[in-house]
Amino acid sequence: MKLGRIFSRGLVFDNPVFVQLLGMCPTLAVTNSAFNGLGMGLATTAVLLGSNFVISLIKGFIPSKIRIPAFIVVIATFVTVVGMLMNAYLPALYEALGIFIPLIVVNCLILARAEAFASKSSPFKSIVDGVGMGLGFTIALVILGIVREITGAGTVFGAAILGESFIPARVMAMPPGAFIALGLLLALFNRITSKELNEL
Amino acid sequence: MSVTSIFLLLVSSILVNNFVLSRFLGICPFLGVSKQVETAFGMGMAVTFVMAMAALITYIIQVAILENLGLEYLQTIAFILVIAALVQFVEMVIEKTSPTLYQSLGVYLPLITTNCAVLGLAILNIQEKLNLISSVVHGIGAALGFTLAIVLFAAIREKIELYNVPEVFKGFPIALITAGLMSLAFLGFAGLV
Amino acid sequence: MREVIKLGLILLLITSVAAFVLGITNDITQGVINARLEAENIKSIEALLPEADEFIMVEGVEGDIIVEVYEGFANGNVVGYTIKTTPNGYNGTVEVLVGVTKAGEIVGVKIGQNTETPGLGTKIADAAYINQYIGKDITQEFVVTKDNPTEDQQIQAVTSATVSSNAVVSGVNSAGSLFNDKLKNR
Repeated sequence: MKLGRIFSRGLVFDNPVFVQLLGMCPTLAVTNSAFNGLGMGLATTAVLLGSNFVISLIKGFIPSKIRIPAFIVVIATFVTVVGMLMNAYLPALYEALGIFIPLIVVNCLILARAEAFASKSSPFKSIVDGVGMGLGFTIALVILGIVREITGAGTVFGAAILGESFIPARVMAMPPGAFIALGLLLALFNRITSKELNEL
Repeated sequence: MSVTSIFLLLVSSILVNNFVLSRFLGICPFLGVSKQVETAFGMGMAVTFVMAMAALITYIIQVAILENLGLEYLQTIAFILVIAALVQFVEMVIEKTSPTLYQSLGVYLPLITTNCAVLGLAILNIQEKLNLISSVVHGIGAALGFTLAIVLFAAIREKIELYNVPEVFKGFPIALITAGLMSLAFLGFAGLV
Repeated sequence: MREVIKLGLILLLITSVAAFVLGITNDITQGVINARLEAENIKSIEALLPEADEFIMVEGVEGDIIVEVYEGFANGNVVGYTIKTTPNGYNGTVEVLVGVTKAGEIVGVKIGQNTETPGLGTKIADAAYINQYIGKDITQEFVVTKDNPTEDQQIQAVTSATVSSNAVVSGVNSAGSLFNDKLKNR
């Protein structure tokens, strides 16, 4: 498979959130602002990049019987490292994401890429796959974050854009808004992709 | 730890801070295993069992090993391995002792390892400095809240199947919007405790 | 049997490498994290009780939601206290820090770590809400009201965030009873 194809697959055609519906917990939980969505997306990308690379390096060395626990250890290590670095150098983001940083471990997206791609591919391709999938995840989280921030607070990345007269629908920043916004975005995504398929 | 505060913890973890609908933990099985009430209930029971056990064991590990040796930074890795092993162990025990229970719960057990509700519970217990009894109560309450949410959700989805939903909303979009409305209803419990 | 041992050894090797990596990262980051937390803590209690120039932690007063208490000194004399409480909010606990003079006047209230709803519950940290406490006597029992306050102990709730507003009131109230019971007559 060509590298460009591996990369773009994660971004659009196999988008982890909009197509594969993986990693739903952080997707819904931290997207009450665009900034939080971006932070969670990049943290997940960093873990995915690291775990994909290491797993593809050691794949020949791990018997298939213990591959799942071995993958989990690798992933958990990267998650903890990313968490520590965030706590030290990006404390505001670390506190905003809270419990969802350690929970990157159980983001099905990461284990799914380890199992389906990194354990069968070269280190270089695995890195490309990790970055593509990670950025696809990040983009989805940022889009959801922007939608919820505009409707829920009238701002984007903290900057007010809708003026004083706009009365924000607070519910969009709360849990129900997460479900509803993602439902509507998925429907929109379905609509766009089905139209394109019909035209092809 | 009085009886009242235990009761309040139970109510708050089932209704007010419902794991699925207000804390966003355990969304994957919530969306994935909620097409039928019966399977949803099976999943709920399996999760309840594992979460109560996980709360107990992770608490002991945290206090007896990690805090004792000053290794708190190994928390994530230790907890996830313990949970994975626990799920395997529970699966084997149920298979040997009760074939009927295994038949009804067996398929869900492997899925529970990556259910973030279990790891989330373990980490929350430590973060909120709950003691042993409250940790287990919190685990049971959270899991019952999960069961309540997933069973109600499955019942609604069974009905939705019968209606004519616009093409682009079929499947997950309408399910997510349904979950949003349920979450809105559960907001009404906020401030109860 | 030999296979089990082999599998076990491989897993042991992987986990050892993982633990080694984590140990190193922890060593590097822990210092930075601790220094930041300590600096933040000192800065926040200084802002609560500007009069004082030195703070010493008061031992043995921690309670249900009382986390830590500092005694503030100016030129060696006690001028007041800072009390950190963690009442339950709408969504988890809310850190409420109160600065109070030796006479019992509230001179500072600050909302710390919390997971309240952004743009709604988080407004409890705004000056419009917080300033309602400033200058009042901490020993009275504060209550939340949705209307304009008519009495000294009434605090107007943040619109559609009554639960979060209540959390702050209960934090300040427990700081008040601690002050009444233990700190006032030290």
